[in-house]
Amino acid sequence: MAILLLDIITTASILFVVAAGLLIVFGVLKIINFAHGGFLTIGGYAALVTTQLHWNPWMALPVALLAGLVLGAFVERLVVRPLYARPLDAILATWGLSIVMVQMITIAFGRGTNFVESPVQGAIPIAGDTYSLYRLIMLGVAIILGAIMIGILQGTRLGLTARAVIMNENLSRSLGINSGLVRFATFSIGSGLAALAGALITPLLSVDPLMGVPWLLNAFMLVMVSGTSLISLGAACLVLGGAQVAISTYSSPVLGALSIMVLAAVLLRIRPAGFARA
Amino acid sequence: MPDSAALACPVRLPSQRGRTERRLILVFSVIALALAAAGPLLLDTYSISILIRSFLYGAIAVTVDILWGFTGILSFGQAAFFGIGAYALGLSVTQYDFTAPIVTAALIGGPLVAAAAAGLVAWLGFGPKVTPLYISVITLVLSVIFVQMIYSGGDFTGSSSGLSNFDTFDISMEGWFRVAGVFLVAVTAAGWIFVRSDFGRLLVAIRENEQRCRYCGINTARVKTLLLIGSAIITALAGFAYAGYNDVIAPDLGNFQFGTQLVIWVALGGRGTLIGPAVAAVLIDFISAWLSGSLPFIWQLIIGLVFIVVIVLLPQGLGPAVANLFRRGRTRPVAARLAPLPDADAAGSGALPAIQVESVSRNYGSLHVLQDVTFTAGAGELVSLVGPNGAGKTTLIRCLSDGQERSSGRVAIEGNPIGRLAPEACVRFGLGRKFQTPNVFDALTVAESLRIARSRQERLSFVRTADEVRLPAAAMRVVQATGLSSQLGTTVKHLSHGAKQALELAMVLAMEPRVLLLDEPTAGLTKSERSLIGEVLVELVRAHGLCILLIEHDLEFVREISSRIIVLHQGSIVMDGTVEEVTNSELVHTIYAGEPHAVAA
Amino acid sequence: MKHLIPTALAAAIACFCATVPAHAADDTVKIGIPVGLSGANSVVAPSVVQAAKLAAQEINDKGGIMGRKIELVVADDGSGADGAVKAFNSLIFQDHVNTIITMETSAARNAGLPVVARGKTPFIYTSYYEGRSCSPYLYVDAWVPDQQVASIVDYFMKEKGAKTFFLAGSDYAFGRGMLEFTRKYIAAHGGKVVEEEYLPMDASDWTAVLSKLRADHPDALISSTAGGAPNVTLTKQLRAAGINVLFGNLGVDEGTAKAIGPDAAGVYISQSYLTSIDDAQNQAFKAGLQKMFGADMKTPNDLSEPEYDGIYLYKAAVEKAGSFNEAKVVSELGKVSFTGPRGTITMDKQHHAPLTMYLGQVQPDGSVKVIQTFKNIDPGQQCPKLKS
Repeated sequence: MAILLLDIITTASILFVVAAGLLIVFGVLKIINFAHGGFLTIGGYAALVTTQLHWNPWMALPVALLAGLVLGAFVERLVVRPLYARPLDAILATWGLSIVMVQMITIAFGRGTNFVESPVQGAIPIAGDTYSLYRLIMLGVAIILGAIMIGILQGTRLGLTARAVIMNENLSRSLGINSGLVRFATFSIGSGLAALAGALITPLLSVDPLMGVPWLLNAFMLVMVSGTSLISLGAACLVLGGAQVAISTYSSPVLGALSIMVLAAVLLRIRPAGFARA
Repeated sequence: MPDSAALACPVRLPSQRGRTERRLILVFSVIALALAAAGPLLLDTYSISILIRSFLYGAIAVTVDILWGFTGILSFGQAAFFGIGAYALGLSVTQYDFTAPIVTAALIGGPLVAAAAAGLVAWLGFGPKVTPLYISVITLVLSVIFVQMIYSGGDFTGSSSGLSNFDTFDISMEGWFRVAGVFLVAVTAAGWIFVRSDFGRLLVAIRENEQRCRYCGINTARVKTLLLIGSAIITALAGFAYAGYNDVIAPDLGNFQFGTQLVIWVALGGRGTLIGPAVAAVLIDFISAWLSGSLPFIWQLIIGLVFIVVIVLLPQGLGPAVANLFRRGRTRPVAARLAPLPDADAAGSGALPAIQVESVSRNYGSLHVLQDVTFTAGAGELVSLVGPNGAGKTTLIRCLSDGQERSSGRVAIEGNPIGRLAPEACVRFGLGRKFQTPNVFDALTVAESLRIARSRQERLSFVRTADEVRLPAAAMRVVQATGLSSQLGTTVKHLSHGAKQALELAMVLAMEPRVLLLDEPTAGLTKSERSLIGEVLVELVRAHGLCILLIEHDLEFVREISSRIIVLHQGSIVMDGTVEEVTNSELVHTIYAGEPHAVAA
Repeated sequence: MKHLIPTALAAAIACFCATVPAHAADDTVKIGIPVGLSGANSVVAPSVVQAAKLAAQEINDKGGIMGRKIELVVADDGSGADGAVKAFNSLIFQDHVNTIITMETSAARNAGLPVVARGKTPFIYTSYYEGRSCSPYLYVDAWVPDQQVASIVDYFMKEKGAKTFFLAGSDYAFGRGMLEFTRKYIAAHGGKVVEEEYLPMDASDWTAVLSKLRADHPDALISSTAGGAPNVTLTKQLRAAGINVLFGNLGVDEGTAKAIGPDAAGVYISQSYLTSIDDAQNQAFKAGLQKMFGADMKTPNDLSEPEYDGIYLYKAAVEKAGSFNEAKVVSELGKVSFTGPRGTITMDKQHHAPLTMYLGQVQPDGSVKVIQTFKNIDPGQQCPKLKS
């Protein structure tokens, strides 16, 4: 039972880390960035490069973050900015971007599956059993990340302007807020977070050009259900991630993989606001 | 409005153009069929094997274009329908035997299951107040569900292995080439005729302005559902054929990447052109297969880049850009003729009041926009609704025309309670609503817009384009008096603001309403246009016995034409009386000016 | 209407451009290798291609096959059914290969068989698999469960006293086929299978399976996943969770075990090829790979070495038939032999070959210590309906 609980919390943490970047982009820019999976993959390959260069595996994190930030800035200017008024087209264009990113990675690294070194190995004893140390670290990372992001949003000027733009962009602009800059910064940070998440999850799984796709779909559904609130996202990750773990364990992992998407779809139909408070 | 002289180019009738187009399509179909028959003799084996698949994909791309390019429904779910059709055949034959009854059952069962899935998705995604993004989400999820269900099927579905080497039709590769070719030609030709018909214009209308369609009484959710189901059936049939030919089926057939590829092909070929997507799908799939050995990644990279460029810079796709190079001269405008309807009797003796509003309130959380509004209006009344901004006038109109809108209270139109009915149902009680800013179809012509407005009374053909739009007298009067009758072939986007207002009024009148809700009908009009509208409204009330509820800020206009004025302030009715009573009332002047009224001159 | 003419024209031009036929040069013999360059098998594919290149170069240096040089045509089958159909089609109908000799997942192999039948191309399958895949064109020079499973299960039950078993695998023909055989073997010998869990071939998250494993406390875990990535993720996650159970892996090869690293220590495997086999042919084989690829050499393993054998077997069949004619070659494939690193291989038992199997345990340094050797195990009744 304790193990199940740990599985749920750590799975929710991993989902939160992956989806957080997508959420802030959705909140500020009002578009779903389908290139999120591509940035995730870039983060994974940043970790691979770090492993191949025999650096300290923890170095993968800042490398990935930087790669995501720079690439995200580039993308926002060229692809996302012209599509602000056409959200459905923005989804398609960012999906096209994802394809381009995957192909470029494949050309550079080959299409095979690779593995990276985990920064920490082994398990620690918990509740009479042993549990993967790295997964527990992910829990810590999620909490810290969430705290930092909420702190920035609530406590800094950047966060305040971001929240203003989230609530009403036209009004913010008429009050003198440079919403273009806010959107630029948000998209870059969101992409950086996606890459960071990619570097974080690879020690648990593997690195291949298509690794981002299943995460994209789950993150997408979680964001739709959470609206624009990070706290709602945390709640959604716990509830839906928990459902995934429970169904995987007691029924079958294949149905478990579906649970987030199906439950989110049903929830959205019943309550379009999702987990966000009215 | 000036009466125009004869146009330099005579206007063609829709039926003439329709007949010409249908003949051309038939000729092209025959040529294409001949190519399909002869193809195997000229092409090498590898090309034939690839093209079989490409042709099937082309047919699916046509359905995606009808859904997305024409109707605005972005669906990624065709992959799931394709997989359902393929697995229907594969599973039946593997579990049982390859016999005629089994195969026929699979041929019917596959599309049936796909149609049911489409129906479920439509029910989830096309409800009221659901964002268009949701249907894209749901169709994505459907593809994932399909793949995962195949994975979870263990030995039954073959899971990751898929099913292969099952008994299948004894048709040669050349034969399959012809089957796939015929399928593609049939779907494309039928699709073309469909989208060029009068009903096809409705698809564009829904994409442009679904709300206006619903206020014309069209059940847009049902139309979209039927379209999705139709595309599911065709796609499942393509899947069935693919399984029959390939003899190998795998879960990948239904994965969402395939769904997104279809969208990419449609975007590149030109959404809303039908032929473009079909050609793009066939060409790109074919070339991808040939290049898969030599430059697979570069090719995919190029496709991805071109796709991004197209979406960002050329939303129309490459097809029209290419076609424009070939276009010669001006095309002659096409428009239907107008024909008057015989005068209908002023229906209703007025036994039942036209509008009955009882204790209607509208709250947004703790904000009360309307509080306990009660009034009745009957046939032959021209009631003006006045009040300062924010009084709740437009909200009241919304509550009268959409059963979902009010928080509490009862509304009845012509004695029919609207309950929680959607706008298209409310409209059927004889209600017409004109919006504050012109709410029309920018991409259609004037004649087409009027025809859509008439669609409840005169069914739209799925094949033909009719020559006449029959309008009731009131609508005809508006159209002729405002000069729209000489602009029947003009695209609405190019009309002046005043003309669009007039068009919307004409469209609403074309529905032969008994009750008319007008939200600032004269906003932005010139003085002469305004007095014209005023005359029409008065005539409607006096000669045709309509009940009109009118929101206006122009108090002169209100005084001239109204028989009764209701004053709304902060969500409640503060006064309800004749024109004299209200205009001389102190209370009203206080509300408007903020201070008691000095005695008027 | 204005779109119809130009687009129809473009389509017609494209179709007619495609009528350029490809033809195989008369002085080479093309060997098609559809293999998992992407997907689950991508971990092992490079080693397979290296073994093929070595065989081709050795044969070409000695004059080729009946005077014709070997040309290898490698295509990516995506480690799955869909990709395999495309790869087989392009190899057989676009490149016009003379034969297909390759290692792939069972999903890919099953999908490729109809294409092979249509093209009437000889197909030598060089991967161990779940058995009972039969086609007149298909020959197998690697092991089937009848040759492999017993060694591990017997060792666990007799030497380690294991009675309860947890089976985990990839959800496709290989995973299910192997574990079905294993389950029956265990039951027939007095053991008990407490759980049988499957994950889709490309899935990488074993968390739920490991939780069940923890809860069931079996004496031993036997896994049969697709070769390559799933082995790695399962082993790594198992060790990361701190689970230390007797672990027999039916589907891992030496190369992948090395790629897993220290986490693979202690795993029991049963293979027909190990790098530690001590005979002249294996020394020459390893030396040849070292010379040809140097620092890029991938550890040869039981998925790659049979590829080397397979190419030589094809050469022998062609020489015995005296022609490259597909039908003649197919009829000789079951009759020729080749003596390589694994000893003398003959695919004469219903298109399958008797093999010597080695039960071993992976050491912390990645090498495999041989515990028991079983000589010339018969593959059993794999394809009773085939004549040879």
